[in-house]
Amino acid sequence: MMRPMRFAAVVLLLAACTSAPTPVEQAPAPLPPEVQQPRENTPIAGLMESARADAAAGRLPNAAASLERALRIEPRNPRLWQELARVRLQQGDYAQAESTAARSNSYAGNDSALRAENQRIVDEARSRRAR
Amino acid sequence: MARRARILRYFSYALLAGAVALIAFALHLDVRVRDEFEGRRFALPARIYARPLELHAGLHIAQGDVEDELRELGYREQPAGDSGWFAKQGAELDIAVRPFVFWDGAQPARRVRVAFDAGKVSALRDDQGKDLPLARLEPLPIGGIYPAGNEDRVLVRLADVPKDLVAELVAIEDRKFFSHGGFDVRAMARAAWSLAGTGRAQGGSTITQQLVKNFFLTPERTLRRKFTELVMAVLLEMHYSKAEILETYLNEIYLGQDRDRAIHGVGLAAQFYFGKDAKDLAPAESALLVGMVKGPAYYDPRRHADRALERRNLVLRETRDQGSLTPEQYFVARAAPLGVTSRSLMGTSPYPAFIQLVHRQLRRDYADKDLRSEGLRIFSSLDPRVQGAAEGTLARRLAQFDKERRFGPPGLEGAVVVTDPQSGEVQALVGGRNARYRGYNRAVDAARPVGSLLKPAIYLTALAEPSRYTLVTPIDDGPFTWKSRGAPDWEPQNYDKKFHGMVPLRVALAQSYNAATARLGTDIGVDKVLASIKKLGVERELRPFASTLLGAAEMSPLEVAQMYQTIASGGFRSPLRAIREVTTQDGRPLQRYALNVEQAFPAEPVYLITAAMQGVVREGTAQSLRSFLPAELGAAGKTGTTDEQRDAWFAGFTGDRLAVVWVGYDDNRAARLSGAASALPIWGDLMAALAPEPLSLAKPDGIEEVWIDPQSNLRGDSGCAGALELPFAQGSAPQERAPCATAIGTAVDAVDSTVKKAKSWFERIFGR
Repeated sequence: MMRPMRFAAVVLLLAACTSAPTPVEQAPAPLPPEVQQPRENTPIAGLMESARADAAAGRLPNAAASLERALRIEPRNPRLWQELARVRLQQGDYAQAESTAARSNSYAGNDSALRAENQRIVDEARSRRAR
Repeated sequence: MARRARILRYFSYALLAGAVALIAFALHLDVRVRDEFEGRRFALPARIYARPLELHAGLHIAQGDVEDELRELGYREQPAGDSGWFAKQGAELDIAVRPFVFWDGAQPARRVRVAFDAGKVSALRDDQGKDLPLARLEPLPIGGIYPAGNEDRVLVRLADVPKDLVAELVAIEDRKFFSHGGFDVRAMARAAWSLAGTGRAQGGSTITQQLVKNFFLTPERTLRRKFTELVMAVLLEMHYSKAEILETYLNEIYLGQDRDRAIHGVGLAAQFYFGKDAKDLAPAESALLVGMVKGPAYYDPRRHADRALERRNLVLRETRDQGSLTPEQYFVARAAPLGVTSRSLMGTSPYPAFIQLVHRQLRRDYADKDLRSEGLRIFSSLDPRVQGAAEGTLARRLAQFDKERRFGPPGLEGAVVVTDPQSGEVQALVGGRNARYRGYNRAVDAARPVGSLLKPAIYLTALAEPSRYTLVTPIDDGPFTWKSRGAPDWEPQNYDKKFHGMVPLRVALAQSYNAATARLGTDIGVDKVLASIKKLGVERELRPFASTLLGAAEMSPLEVAQMYQTIASGGFRSPLRAIREVTTQDGRPLQRYALNVEQAFPAEPVYLITAAMQGVVREGTAQSLRSFLPAELGAAGKTGTTDEQRDAWFAGFTGDRLAVVWVGYDDNRAARLSGAASALPIWGDLMAALAPEPLSLAKPDGIEEVWIDPQSNLRGDSGCAGALELPFAQGSAPQERAPCATAIGTAVDAVDSTVKKAKSWFERIFGR
């Protein structure tokens, strides 16, 4: 209840600030901080890695498919939802990017860095959608 | 003299006319042969696969279940060749996984060692002993969408057919194939001789003639047809190479029947009888298929193993005699067992209800013609293990109820839907007690009154206004009358025919009190509740009547699953999906059905309603689940029973599964079984069989847990008997302390005044 209001407020603020036209071609989103256990030989780490490789190479449906495979194993992993939100953003599906980031938030607990990144995705999705 | 000349002239005219007629006939046939042969494209059914089993360390699965899945996939139980087998070594499985082209690319054959411990995969390694993060088995083919006539085939190229198979075919069916021009005079003479001698027709047709017969002609056996066949065979040979004719023949021949599905071509026959690709057939295996050309039913290796073996060995002998098999090869092949798999993969689907759902979802995006002819590969979300458990529990329980109730035929019916609550993927769908029956699909097509299954939507709508409603808000369960113009007064009764006075909101849901719910629903507004139901994912238009609130609305079990899925996933609606991906026949990705989420409700009210639904199981109408599942599981659910108990429902979820069960009679007779007495035991059996994960909810920011004294519904603590920790939207919990609270609290009369206040509030609303 509170959060959407806060989001809306932030977006309104951002919209007010960024009056200058933004470039149409945006640089790809910076790679997010590494997964907590990146070198571990877990199915999640493996799928996350291949999703990132696919996303970097522009194979977005494959990236999404790998993330969905991972989510079937760990449906409550907020990092997987966040990565999926990022892929949706790259795919230009802003509504899904936003709601998927919100889904990530619902499992984020008090990981403030994760929440901040979700917020960034939501903001970016909204500002791109508004264009 | 003149007469002779005249006769001669007439004769030559006749001859000329005959020749002209023959040429015209041949030309006509020529056009037909070329048109049809060139325009001919084999119609290939869409093939549907179950979800692939993904093994990883930590996966909850019993060793026996993995073995079952491998057997279903046609894996042999001892080492045999490169792949397609597994070996059991105590609590470990050594699996030679077959290669498979997945949606995201080809996966080569690989060896995997899986160790099990206490119902879990404890380790996963490759053949070098290195840990593997993940191993994906190939998915089980579960059915197809077939072209007219239910012809099924898997196309093969001649280059992919073993040389031995061709040699065997030529040796037994048509020795002169590579040299004749479409017919074989000596073979025909031999056949005619044997027909004259024994009165039995016998072979004599070349491969080309057989192809013509299958391709262009009806099966009647007349001289005229035989002649047409011969001319067409010659024409075919004139226009096409031996290789083209042979390849078409190998894809066309009829090699067996699987109920109403016709098995055509060596590609599918190799799958059907041996569970492998045609290119991997051993000489003994291909000899069996070649031998069956003569009579697929008579030489059916699954039914008449002796005949089939004899026929196979004849083929091998002839092939050796033709010099196409060395004596050593012959010796090895002859000694081999038949080697057919015990059951066929890709049968007429064992899961017709699920296939129907897949077919419907596909028809939104594909033309039916393409589905039946383009050989699409459909990767679905069906989990055969879950499906098996759902079918089994439904059939068992319904048989038991029938026996206990003795209501006579036709017996009780039922339907089950199981989904993954997080992704909305449909894992199992049972359309009736006879799950193999391809007919009325109750899970999708039966719209039945849902009864109290709608109540969570009403309470959710209320809890979304925390300033008005919390889990302990008193609700009046006194007699209730709803008047509206043009309709008879509506006076909902409670299941136990009693009224219960003021009850806390969570108890009204847990006990499924109708009067209290009707009052609550009409107070927040029927329109508002209907809007919530829509947001939960129910697309059907429900009538805006107060009676809709108590479940006069009709829905299918699948629609109910959608509604509950949105609650189970914390308010994020994901459309239920049965399909993950679609590829072309050769594995090129066509479409992915992505996991989409939409936040339908804020997290807080969904958390509250889920807690209340856990209360239904813990202390309400679904208490009897206790005898099926441990309390720590924290399952959430709701029973549903309609007027005169015509429909019995249970819908609910655990951490990793959501299931909806409906029980009733097709002819709408009163079943005299409540949801708790019939649908619930099925749900309980099913969940218990699936070893579900506990339901632990992620607590949203705006939720706080407060100790409540159940007597006064005020703040309590350890001093209060039976004190409960209940969730509240931030700031909405009662402020006053219960008298039993040991810390400094308010006086008893303050409690009384709260109840009075609440009561007067009701009186204000309803003017009582």
